[in-house]
Amino acid sequence: MSNSHLFMKSGFVRAPLQNGVGRYVPQLQRIVLKFCKTHGGSRGIRDFIEQDLVEFAKQNPSVVVYLKPRRHRSPVAVAEYLNGDRVWMSLHQKSHSEITKWIEVLRTQQGDVSATRLRKYQFTDHPSIQGPWTPFTFKDPELNVAQLPDPKFGANDRLPMTATDKLRIMFEKQKISEDNVKTGE
Amino acid sequence: MVFLTIANLIRCRGPDEFWRKRKIFRLAAHYIGRRRNCYSVAVRNVHHALVYATKARRLKKQDMKDLWDTRISAACEQHNITAFSMREGLERSNILLDRKSLSDLAAWEPKTFQCLAAVASRKLHLDGFIDGTDQKAPTGKNLNLDNVILDDWLKEKK
Amino acid sequence: MSAAKRVQQWATFARTWHIFDCKWQDPYLSANVIKKYLMGMHKPIYHPMNDCGDVVVCINSRDIALRGDDWRQRAYFHHTGYPGGASWTLAWEVHNKDPTMIIKKAVYRSMKGNLQRRHTMQRMLIYPGEEVPEDIMQNVTNQIRQLRPVPTRLDHIPEDEVKKYPKVMEYPEDYVLK
Repeated sequence: MSNSHLFMKSGFVRAPLQNGVGRYVPQLQRIVLKFCKTHGGSRGIRDFIEQDLVEFAKQNPSVVVYLKPRRHRSPVAVAEYLNGDRVWMSLHQKSHSEITKWIEVLRTQQGDVSATRLRKYQFTDHPSIQGPWTPFTFKDPELNVAQLPDPKFGANDRLPMTATDKLRIMFEKQKISEDNVKTGE
Repeated sequence: MVFLTIANLIRCRGPDEFWRKRKIFRLAAHYIGRRRNCYSVAVRNVHHALVYATKARRLKKQDMKDLWDTRISAACEQHNITAFSMREGLERSNILLDRKSLSDLAAWEPKTFQCLAAVASRKLHLDGFIDGTDQKAPTGKNLNLDNVILDDWLKEKK
Repeated sequence: MSAAKRVQQWATFARTWHIFDCKWQDPYLSANVIKKYLMGMHKPIYHPMNDCGDVVVCINSRDIALRGDDWRQRAYFHHTGYPGGASWTLAWEVHNKDPTMIIKKAVYRSMKGNLQRRHTMQRMLIYPGEEVPEDIMQNVTNQIRQLRPVPTRLDHIPEDEVKKYPKVMEYPEDYVLK
C-alpha cells in the first residue's frame, strides 16, 4: 500500500505559484510538431498546420512552435513545459479535429499529468476556518492557575448523586426556619 | 513415420518470451537480490505482491473507517457524549454526516463539532433516550444547549 | 511552510503532561484511561504513526487498590531467560519490593503488543508517593480524573461540616452509648 512499489511519482493537486488565482501564465513553453509531407498518417496534422496553426501561434505568444517536416516518419508532437516535463504524443492517423483537441490539452496542461499519481483529489490552502484542533481548544482555563494535583480537577464529577447529598437536599427543601434545626452536635 | 515437428517444438520456447518476462521484471525492479534479476524467483514475489495489493484495497477502507471512528470517539469524549449517542442524535435530527466528514470537522473545525455534539445530546434529551453503553467516564465537559429555536427545529418531524 | 503554519503545527501537536492520582483506584480500570492518554487516542488528530502521545505522571501508586482477594491471589510471572528462571510472585510481594510495578504492568498489559508499546511506556512516570521531582512537576498542566471516588475517613471530615449536618434520627432517652 505504500509508495515504494509504484513507479509513478505522486503529488497533490497543485498549480505552480497559484497560477490562475491572480494572473494566468500558460505553462507550455514550446511545442515541436514532426510530420511527413506526403504520408497518409500525417493528413490530420498537415490540415492543422495549413488551417489552424497560425491562429494558434497568434493566440499563444508565449509558446514557441517548431515545425519539423521529416520524410517517412509518423507524426509526433513533443510539448515541453516550464517545470521541465517533456510530453511525447503520437498524432499518427488522427483526424484534424482530434489533433485540435489534443493540442488544446497540451496547451492547458501544466506538465506531464499522466505521470503523476494524485494522492488526494482535493486541495485547499485554507483547510480550517475556526482554526485546527489544539489541546488548548477545550481546556478549562482554571487549570492554568491551579496547583496540581487538585481534588477539584482530580475527582470524578460524573458520578450519580450520593445518598448523603440527597439527604442534605431533602433537608434543605423541608426546612421551615433557620433556628429550629437539629444538627449533628 | 518420422515426427519432426515435435522435435522442433521442444526447442523453441516462444517468440515473445523476452517481453513476457520484461512485464514481470518491470514490477520487480525495486526488489532485493535474486528477486530482481531471476525470473522464477521474481515471478513468485510479483504474484504475491499483486495479491496483497488486491486484498489491501478492501483493508484500506476498513483501516480508514477505524481511524475515523477513533478520532470521532476521541472528540466526543471531550464533550461527555459517546460516539454511539452522537450518531443516534444526529440521525434523529436528520443531520446525515458520514464518518469522514465528522472526523474532518473534529480535527479542523472543533467548535462546529462541539455544536453538533450539543445538538445531538439535546435531541436525545428531548426524546428521553438513555445510552446504556455510556461508562460515565469523567473525560470532558457537559454541553448544555438550551435554545428555544433549536428545540422547535428538533421537535419538527423529519 | 510559513512561520504561522509552523507555529500552528507546534500548537496542534503539543505534548501535554498529565497527572493522575492512583489513590484508591483499581489499576486495571485506570490503565484503560491512562493508556488512551499515553497513545494519544484522546485527540481527534490521532494516528498510530503520528507520535501524538502525551506524558502521564502517576502519583501515590503505593495506595493502589486491587479488587477482592487479588492482593493475596494474583501472581505475576517473570522469567529471567536462563533455564529454571521462571518465577511466580504474588501481588503483595511485588508491591512491597517495588510499589510502582503493579500499575506499570497493568498499563503495559492494557496496550496492544506491538513495537510501539515499549516506546509509549517510556512516556509514563510513576511515583509511589506524593513527591515528584521539581522539574517534572513544572511541566504538568492537566489532571486526569479518577474513576472511583476516594472515601474520606469519618474522623477526617472537618468539624464544622459534622456540626452543620442535619440529624437524621435521635437516640431514645434511655439508650446507653457504649
